[in-house]
Amino acid sequence: MSTLLASDLAVKRSWRSAKSHLMVSLMFLSFLVILVPLVFVIGTVVMKGAGIVFRDFPSWFTKSIPIQKRTRGPGMGPAVIGTLLITALASALAIPLGILGAVYLHEYGGQSRLARAVRFLSMVMTGVPSIVMGLFVYVVFTLRFGLSGLGGALALACLMLPVVIRSTEEMLRLVPEHLREASYALGTRKGRTITTVVLPAALPGVVSGCLLAVARAAGETAPLLFTIGVVTKTHWNVLSGPNTTLSYQIFQNASQVLPGPQERGWGAAFTLVGITFVFTVLARLVTAAYQKRR
Amino acid sequence: MTATLHSSPPDRSTLAHDLEGSGGTADRTFKGLSYAAGLVVLLVLGLIAYTMMSRSTQALGHMGVKFFTSRVWNPPAKDYGILSYIWGTVYTAFVALLLSVPISLGIALFITQVAPVWLRHVMTYVIDLLAVVPSVVFGLWGILVLAEHIKGLYGWLSRTFHGVPVLGSLFGSNPQGRSFFTAGIILAVMITPIVVSLSRSVIETTPAFEKEAALALGATRWEMIRGAVLPHSKGGLVGAVMLGLGRAMGETIAVALVIGSATGAITFNLLASGNSMPAVITAEWGEADSLKKSALIAMAMTLFVMTIVVNVAATAIVNRSMKKTRGGQ
Amino acid sequence: MNTRNRRVVLAGLVSLTVFAAACGSDSKTATTAAPTTTSASSSGESTTTAANTTTPVTDAVKLSATLNASGSTFVQAFLEQEIASFTAANSGVTINYGGGGSGKGRQDLADTIVDFAGTDGTIKDADLSKYKGGDVLYFPVVVAPITVSYNVSGLDKLQLSPATIAKIFQRQIKTWNDPAIATDNPGVTLPSTAITVVHRSDSSGTTGNFTKFLENSVGKANGGIWTLGTDSTVQWSADTQAGQGNGGVAQIIKSTDGAIGYVDLSDAKDAALKFASVQNKAGKFVDPTLDAASAAAAGAKVADNLTFSAVWADGDGSYPITAQTWIIVYAKQTDAAKADATKAFLKFLLTDGQQHAGDVNYAPLPADLATKAIAQLDKIVKA
Repeated sequence: MSTLLASDLAVKRSWRSAKSHLMVSLMFLSFLVILVPLVFVIGTVVMKGAGIVFRDFPSWFTKSIPIQKRTRGPGMGPAVIGTLLITALASALAIPLGILGAVYLHEYGGQSRLARAVRFLSMVMTGVPSIVMGLFVYVVFTLRFGLSGLGGALALACLMLPVVIRSTEEMLRLVPEHLREASYALGTRKGRTITTVVLPAALPGVVSGCLLAVARAAGETAPLLFTIGVVTKTHWNVLSGPNTTLSYQIFQNASQVLPGPQERGWGAAFTLVGITFVFTVLARLVTAAYQKRR
Repeated sequence: MTATLHSSPPDRSTLAHDLEGSGGTADRTFKGLSYAAGLVVLLVLGLIAYTMMSRSTQALGHMGVKFFTSRVWNPPAKDYGILSYIWGTVYTAFVALLLSVPISLGIALFITQVAPVWLRHVMTYVIDLLAVVPSVVFGLWGILVLAEHIKGLYGWLSRTFHGVPVLGSLFGSNPQGRSFFTAGIILAVMITPIVVSLSRSVIETTPAFEKEAALALGATRWEMIRGAVLPHSKGGLVGAVMLGLGRAMGETIAVALVIGSATGAITFNLLASGNSMPAVITAEWGEADSLKKSALIAMAMTLFVMTIVVNVAATAIVNRSMKKTRGGQ
Repeated sequence: MNTRNRRVVLAGLVSLTVFAAACGSDSKTATTAAPTTTSASSSGESTTTAANTTTPVTDAVKLSATLNASGSTFVQAFLEQEIASFTAANSGVTINYGGGGSGKGRQDLADTIVDFAGTDGTIKDADLSKYKGGDVLYFPVVVAPITVSYNVSGLDKLQLSPATIAKIFQRQIKTWNDPAIATDNPGVTLPSTAITVVHRSDSSGTTGNFTKFLENSVGKANGGIWTLGTDSTVQWSADTQAGQGNGGVAQIIKSTDGAIGYVDLSDAKDAALKFASVQNKAGKFVDPTLDAASAAAAGAKVADNLTFSAVWADGDGSYPITAQTWIIVYAKQTDAAKADATKAFLKFLLTDGQQHAGDVNYAPLPADLATKAIAQLDKIVKA
C-alpha cells in the first residue's frame, strides 16, 4: 500500500501534495527531535561514564564504594551486586505471580465479575506512582523488619506485578484457540493444557515482556530510597540488613559538587544503562527469534 | 497421560468446563494457584489504599481542608499545606504534555502511516531504548548537564520577553536552571515513548478500507490521515495522552533533582523553581516525625488518587474508542 | 603512608583498651580478654600494617559488628574519614553512615532503625518520649564554622554583619550593590548582580544553627530584623533556591553567579567556594577558621548531658556561626557486640579523631569536654 501511495504522490504536483509532503516531513522531524535528548543523554553517559568504568576496569566492579565520598577513585561493586540481587529477588516474586495471575485472567476468569475486577485493578496498579509504592512498603514492612534488600525487592515486585500480568495476558490472547482444543481433544486436563501447550506457545512473548519489566525495575530509585538504606561494602544477604543499588548511588552523587562523587555517579549511570540495555536487547532477540519461528 | 478419555465427544463449548470438573489434584492445585495470584492484585491494592488512608488521618485531622488549600508548608510550626506542591505536580506534567504530545503524535503517525517496514523497526527500537533509560539517569543528566547549559537560554528568554504581556510572566527570571520548565522538558522526554506506543496501537485500529477509500478518492497521504485516521482515533488518542499525563504526575526522581525544591511557589513563571508532591516526599520523608510522616502519606494519597482518576478515565476512553472501532469493522 | 599506619595501630589500641575496660565489669567476657597480653598475631589487616612499624600491637580481641548510622551531613566528611581509619584497624567492624541530615538521624534513632546518629541540634524535650530505645546519650565530637559562602565574579573579599545576612536571606536585599552590603564593606566596589539565596531543601542541623545565629543576634529579642525564627527548616521565601545536603547547596552556589548560601567549612573549602567574614558578638569581622571555631567552643557553657551551643559566642576571636555535632546513642544497648563496637568507635573519635579533625577542616573539642565525653562512655551498657 505504501508503494502505491508513493507513486500516487509522485505524479501529483499540486499544493495539496506539497502540504502532504510538509506534514510528513514534520512527522519525521518530530522523530529527529526526540532523538536529540536521547543521543545527548546516552552520549553524555557514555562519554563521562565509560571512561570512569574502564579507567579502573576490574576494580570498578570489585572494589567497595569509598567510605570517604569526596575522594576520587573506583568502587561500585556493592551497588552492582545490590542491583542484581534486589532485581532478581523482585523478579522471583513478581514474575511467577504475574504469569499465574494472567493465566487466571485469560484461561479461567475470562469475563467473570472477579476477573474483570482484577483486570481493572491491575490497570489501576500500573498507575500507582513508584514513590507511593516505596512509602507503602516502608509502612507495612520496613518499620517492622528494618532496612533490607527484601524491602526494596517487595516494592519493585509490586511495581512489576501488574506489568507482567498485562503483558502476559496479551500474549495468552495471541495463542490460537485451536491449540487448546487440540489438547483437550487428546483428553488433557485444563491445567496441564495450560502448562504444556498454552504457556510454551506464548513463552517467547511472555519472556520478552518480563525482561522489559525487569529492565525497568533495575533502574527504579524512588521505591528503594526508604527501604534499603545504604552500604559501602558488598552485602550478599539480600534478605536482611541494609544494601545499596546503582540507582541509589546515582541519586546520591547527583547532588554533589566535587569531581570524585560526580565521576562515580556517571560511572554508575553508565553501568546501570548497560544493564538495562542488556535486558532490553535480550527481550528484542527473544521476540525476533519467536517471529522467525512463526 | 493420566487423564481419562471422555467416552462421548463433548460439545466444543462445554469441553473446557467439563475437563475442569473432572478431577485431578494437580489440576485443581494449579487452578487454585492461579486464582490466588489473581487475588494478590486485589489484596496488594487494597492494602495500599488501607495503609494510605489509615496513616493519613492524623495529618488530615490536624489540618482539615487547609491541607489542600493552603500553600504554607512549615513543618516546625506543624503547618502542612500542599497546594503549591499540587500546583508544581500539575504544572510540570502539563508542560510535559504540551511539549511531548505533538512530537509523539507525529512519530506515531509516521511509524504507522508512512515509514517503510525497516524504518518502522528502527524507530520502534529507538523509542523502546528511550523507555528503558532509568529515570535517575535522566535526573543526573538534567541536574549536571541540562540545568547548567539551559541557564543561558533562560536568561535570554526572560530578557527578551521582559515586559511583554503573558509571555513576560511565563518567562520570568531565575538565575539557575532548575525550574518547572526544566522538569517539564525531562518529563516530556520520559513520557514520549508511552504516548507513542499507545497512540500507535490506537491508530492501528483504523480500518484499512477507510484509508483506502480516502486514497481512492484522490486524497493525499496527509488528507487521508486527517480525513480517515485522526477522526477515527480521536478518542483513543485523548486517552493515550491522558495516560502520559498520569505517568508524568507520578514521576519522582528526575523531577526531584531538577525542579529546584522551592517551597510555596504557585506561579505561571515557567522558569521559576518549584516543587512537586513526589519530590517533596523524597526529600523530606527521612527526617519526618509522626505528624509529618502522616502529612507526607496524605500527600502520597492525594497523588495516588489523582493518578488513578486520570488513568481510569484514560483507559475508559481508550477502551471505548477501541470497542467502537472493532464494532465498526 | 607512615601516619596512616600509626593511626591504624592507634585505632587498634584504642578499641582494645575500651574493650578491656568494658570487660572488667563483665565476668562472662573476662576470659576472652585474658590473651590481651600476647603479642601481635599474624591475622587481620591491622597487624599486617602494624608489622611495618616498630610499635608492638595486640590484636587478640576482635570487635565484630555492623553499625548502621545516619544523620548530620555537616559532620559527614569527618565521620567518613574516621570510619575509614577505624574499620581499617578493626576489620570485623562495618559502619554504614548514611547521612541524610540531622533530622533524619534523630528520627531514625527514635525509630531504632539505626545504631547511632549524628546530629547538630539537640532533641526537643517533647520528642524524648518518642525514642523507643530509652535514654539517649550525647557525645560531642567536633565543632566547625558554618560559612556564608558566595559566588560573585569580581568580589573576592566580603564582610557581612548579622543584620545584613538576615535581610539577604529574607529577600529584603536583592542586589549585591545594596547600601547595607556597601556599609559592611567600605571601599569595595560591588557589582549590581542580583542575589540568589540558597538554602537546604532537607531539614538540617546546619539550618538550625545558622538560623539560631540570626535569631540570637538580630532576632525578636534583638531588634527583630530576623523574623523567620530558628529551626531545622524555616519558612523561606518562595523565590529562593534549595539544595539537598551541604553538597547540594555548594553545587548551586558554585554554578550560579550572584548566589549566597550557608555551607559547612569542610564542603565550602573542598568545593573552592569564597566565603565571607562575619561580624561577631564583640563587633569584630572574623573569618571562618578552625581557630575561630575553637575559640567560640571554648567559651560555650556545657550542660551536664554535654549539650552546649557555640553559636553567637563571646570573645573577640570567636566566629559567630560555629556549630557542634554530637553522636547520639542509646544508653541501654540490646546487642553486646554492637555496644562494644559503638564504644570503641566513640572512644576513637574522642581521641585519635580529635587529632585528625583538622585534616578535613573540623576543629577539635576543648580538651576538658573531650575528657568528659570519654568518661561518659561507661554509661553505654548492654541492657
